[in-house]
Amino acid sequence: MNTLLDLAVAAVLAGTPLLLGTLGEILTEKSGNINLGVEGMMFMGAIAGLAAPYVYEQCVLGAGGRPLGWLGAVFALIASFLAGALGALIYGFLTITLRADQNVTGLTLTIFGTGVGNFFGEYLSGRAGGYVALGDEVKAAFAGISIPGLSQIPVVGRLFFRYNWVVYLAVAVALAMHHFFKRTRAGLNLRAVGEDPAAADAAGIDVARYRYLATVVGGGLCGIGGMYMSMVTTSCVWVHDCVSGYGWLAVALVIFAAWNPARALLAALVFGGLTVLRLYLHIPGIPMQIYDMLPYAVTVLVLIVTSIRQSRENVQPKSCGVNYFREER
Amino acid sequence: MRRRVFSVLLSAVLMATALTGCGGSADTADDAQTAQESPEKEGAGIAKEDLKVGFVHIGDPSDMGYTYNHDQGTQKMQEDLGLSDDQIINKFNTPEDAQCDTALRELVDAGCQIIFGTSFGFEDYMLEVAREYPDVQFCHATGYQAASSGLSNMHDYFTPIYQARYLSGIAAGLKTETDKLGYVAAFPYAEVISGLTSFYLGAKSVNPDVTMEIQYTNAWNDPKKESEVAQALIDSGCDVLSQHSDSTAAATTAEKNGAWHVGYNADTIAAAPKASLISACIDWSIYLTEAVQAVIDGEEIPADWCQGLSEDGETDTIYLSPLNEDIAAEGTQEAIDEAEEKIRSGEVQVFQGPLKGVSPEGEEFEVKEGEHFPEQEEASAPTWSYIVDGCTVVG
Repeated sequence: MNTLLDLAVAAVLAGTPLLLGTLGEILTEKSGNINLGVEGMMFMGAIAGLAAPYVYEQCVLGAGGRPLGWLGAVFALIASFLAGALGALIYGFLTITLRADQNVTGLTLTIFGTGVGNFFGEYLSGRAGGYVALGDEVKAAFAGISIPGLSQIPVVGRLFFRYNWVVYLAVAVALAMHHFFKRTRAGLNLRAVGEDPAAADAAGIDVARYRYLATVVGGGLCGIGGMYMSMVTTSCVWVHDCVSGYGWLAVALVIFAAWNPARALLAALVFGGLTVLRLYLHIPGIPMQIYDMLPYAVTVLVLIVTSIRQSRENVQPKSCGVNYFREER
Repeated sequence: MRRRVFSVLLSAVLMATALTGCGGSADTADDAQTAQESPEKEGAGIAKEDLKVGFVHIGDPSDMGYTYNHDQGTQKMQEDLGLSDDQIINKFNTPEDAQCDTALRELVDAGCQIIFGTSFGFEDYMLEVAREYPDVQFCHATGYQAASSGLSNMHDYFTPIYQARYLSGIAAGLKTETDKLGYVAAFPYAEVISGLTSFYLGAKSVNPDVTMEIQYTNAWNDPKKESEVAQALIDSGCDVLSQHSDSTAAATTAEKNGAWHVGYNADTIAAAPKASLISACIDWSIYLTEAVQAVIDGEEIPADWCQGLSEDGETDTIYLSPLNEDIAAEGTQEAIDEAEEKIRSGEVQVFQGPLKGVSPEGEEFEVKEGEHFPEQEEASAPTWSYIVDGCTVVG
């Protein structure tokens, strides 16, 4: 029982950065842009999310004050969102305005963002003379929360009320995005742009504006996912190559989630759970390599099942990967 | 049209920035033309000014771990021998694939008389290039095939880091309250298993009740996996962790959970001041200086080189980073010092019988009472690959 509880908690923690990246990419793809630069934007978010509270902390300490943990967390959130959004803005400018190839631009953004993250990470490490590590106040702000009463309930408290705040933020974003797509006019417009930009254009929807906004906000979400890696996973210490490929998993998870933010919640939980399964559930005789394959094997299965079901709802938006050029209608 | 041109330009700028960000793997063939001046003969030696030393690294010093530590050794060697910066050529971020072959050949082309490869997986590429260039000396850290290859210009080197691991284990054995240690291990093979076993034996030498749980990450550097493995170990009741993996994730995860941590390769106290007790480290400069000096003097480099704590303490190749006195158990430093003296004098052997273990393949092995396992005595690479009683591999 305890092991199962540990596994569930570990699954949520493992799934959260993937969920944020996935949500960002779903929002982007719903507008008809495939941004393969998730990994790059996560790197940019990771370093910005660490650097902002670090600079804040250095300034406060330099002035002889005591840094506030929550303020550091707010800086981390804003900076990582902006950094991811900046990456997405470059992507958006190249693909939406200049109509460069989406795949190539996305891949370039991955290389670019990885370089930016590691470069500034190393720069800060060099200046700090070793590790870029934050103080206890900010570290505490990224630890699990404790709600009096609720967090102390056995099992339920541990299962629902003791995560770090980014987990709750990610869940809230997923639900809000689900509501946005299903229940709002702007969400409908965005989906129309992603499915058939020409028709949307004819209906008077500003295609470029929707694509820009969705891509940039989506990139910002990926940036927050990156911040999760540097602030929660590696606990406020810069680690070289800290995102190490998980941005690509987020891209895979978009397929797993069938472009549905609410399903992304479940998908991230299952995917996260499968990645840590081996550490908690030991079946003798099964080599660990088989366990490590599981998340990917399940993704393939989901792909097969969805392609057999041929649902029109849960597939990639039709115009994905194709830049819209009004004169070519 | 103008837009196209602009987009191409912008992509080019992106690429260029990204490449700089990747961290200067490009000290490359700035003087490829110089090539090899006068291939020196065995025993002839070489003038110090004409010397060029090449390094192939799997990462770069920003990892604050293995490569950082090795590079510190390079710098010390450079200082000790008085070499100028352009006599040292580093190839950072070289993967263990055909790019290693390319990097080695570029170093040969650049005129290096001695080339060091620092990652285990470089071995096959080094052997191949060494066969083609008998005048260039190749030294491989952690490798095991130099002696059996029959090549006189191929050499293996390593340090008995297990001695330092053993000593660092003492800090863990004295600190643990649950009597259960956890080990975040990269891969199930001899170098890792030798390290974790010696760490465990060190802990056991001061705390006979201690047990240890081991989980593999299946990667050298995967911070997310390392933190997940560390969390799983803590969830199962371990309160002091150690690691054979590259990042600080295990240390910071321990700190987050109020557990403790013993490191490898780098002092991690700055990253996790409330968890990091001590780290087992290697001083590579001793070997690097010796090997490069041998090339200068035209002497032979041994096929296998492995030195640990020296009797006089002058040329120790392994050491422990400063103990975190604020959190270490009382008497830790004294216990470590005492054990260190005994290892120096040969009174204590780390792999002392009676020991019973099982290899990952299921093969059983026993060291009898009064005997010890000759770890790294015959070859420089670790060969102990048995999980001893008291240790369990999970998953």
